[in-house]
Amino acid sequence: MPRNSEKLNLSWFLRHPLVATCILLAMTVLLPFLRVGERVKLWALLPVAKAAGDEAQSPAEAELSEEERNLLELRRAREQAAALLDENNALRQALAQRSNQPQDLVSEFAQAPMPPAVDARVILKGDASSWRHSCVLNRGRKHGIKEGMPVACGRTLVGRTFMVDEGHCIVQLLTDPGFSAGCLMVGQGEAPLRVRGVLRGDGSARPHFPRLELEDVAVGERVEAGMKVLTNDFSGQYPLGLAVGEVREVIPQAGFLQVRIEAYLDLDALDVVQVLLHERPTLEQQAMQLLRKKK
Amino acid sequence: MLERANNLTHPQYRWRLVLGVGLLCGVLHAALLRRLDLGEWQPDIFSIAALYFSLYANRQGRYLPCLVLGLVRDFLSLGLLGSYAVLYSLLHKLASKARLRLDPDHFVNAAAMAFVGTFLVNFGYHAMLALSGDGIGWSRAAMRCLSMACASAPLAPFVFVLANHGLGRLGVQRLAGGYVNV
Repeated sequence: MPRNSEKLNLSWFLRHPLVATCILLAMTVLLPFLRVGERVKLWALLPVAKAAGDEAQSPAEAELSEEERNLLELRRAREQAAALLDENNALRQALAQRSNQPQDLVSEFAQAPMPPAVDARVILKGDASSWRHSCVLNRGRKHGIKEGMPVACGRTLVGRTFMVDEGHCIVQLLTDPGFSAGCLMVGQGEAPLRVRGVLRGDGSARPHFPRLELEDVAVGERVEAGMKVLTNDFSGQYPLGLAVGEVREVIPQAGFLQVRIEAYLDLDALDVVQVLLHERPTLEQQAMQLLRKKK
Repeated sequence: MLERANNLTHPQYRWRLVLGVGLLCGVLHAALLRRLDLGEWQPDIFSIAALYFSLYANRQGRYLPCLVLGLVRDFLSLGLLGSYAVLYSLLHKLASKARLRLDPDHFVNAAAMAFVGTFLVNFGYHAMLALSGDGIGWSRAAMRCLSMACASAPLAPFVFVLANHGLGRLGVQRLAGGYVNV
């Protein structure tokens, strides 16, 4: 008995959703420039970004009289001034402590110039997958943010922008398995050490959470526990001197060293971050920089 | 005859349940489980929910809910859109076959199915990560998947009993064969 042939139309796709999903997955993998999946995901997160957008005046506040509103603003300004005074004192103390210490290689890197930054608030932390690590920020393309820009908290590397929409963006944290960055391990002893490595996230979970690994560290390199790990500007992806973490353990493997580091990233305390407006230079720009250095 | 009876009954609360459970699991994973010091022993509640739909839902309502649950997880995560959806669709196929041999109302069977299901879903996800060059090493991934499966397996029987009880309170019909009309 001949089998009825089915027509390939919308209803067929709706009846065979696995086929539709496979096509979607294939399009995302094989045609990455279309960015189908990313566009759909950013669109899905739009309500969250809108809900957590810039705070407008609350309806209760709008009902207050002019005098009451002035009083409220005065109280807020006093609170802000008190907080700033405390912060100022703490910073002065830290500066005094720092100036007493001898200048080392790490503080040299810490003085490296930083690119301009856009302050952003973390509106959604965490990821539904047990393997991935991400967060959502309330700043996007209209604030000058582009894909691949480094995200930092102070001078500590947090991750990089992964998907960017008009008013919000998704950040890939440095603990995500897809994250990688060229790094330098810097020793603070009498003879300063600089060892190169590639940082890879491993999707670690608590209590091992901000624990990462550095790959491609050649056997024979002198790596010690306690060395500071900083970003390297060799590839141009990240600016020089962003703090990543501290070396905890060095395990010799066949042909390379496995270096375990503890990252400075504190996801719980992450509230306001800076998206550094730093873009990877093109090949021509890198070549010109090299030529200038040689001259 | 039973098949016919299953087909004739209209599923109750299906999409509300799928979306509600999906969002709840997303929040649990993103907000709660990450704050606990569980290390690699993190239970995969999303996969347990997908397994529940595969094992207990109305015959007509197993495949699509699993796929949508996977899509919800994909939307709330950084990975490729459709990866969990495909994995949960395959989990549904596997669970439907296993249900013919094993009774999920039995404590040990439910735990065993959750162990195998969670392990395969997570290992499959790592395979997708490895294909895109983001793998963490096969032996390490296998150990992590085993830890997740070990943490998820004892939870599954309790989740299944709780879900059956909750659906009963909602007035969802029980169908022949131990299925629930969702």
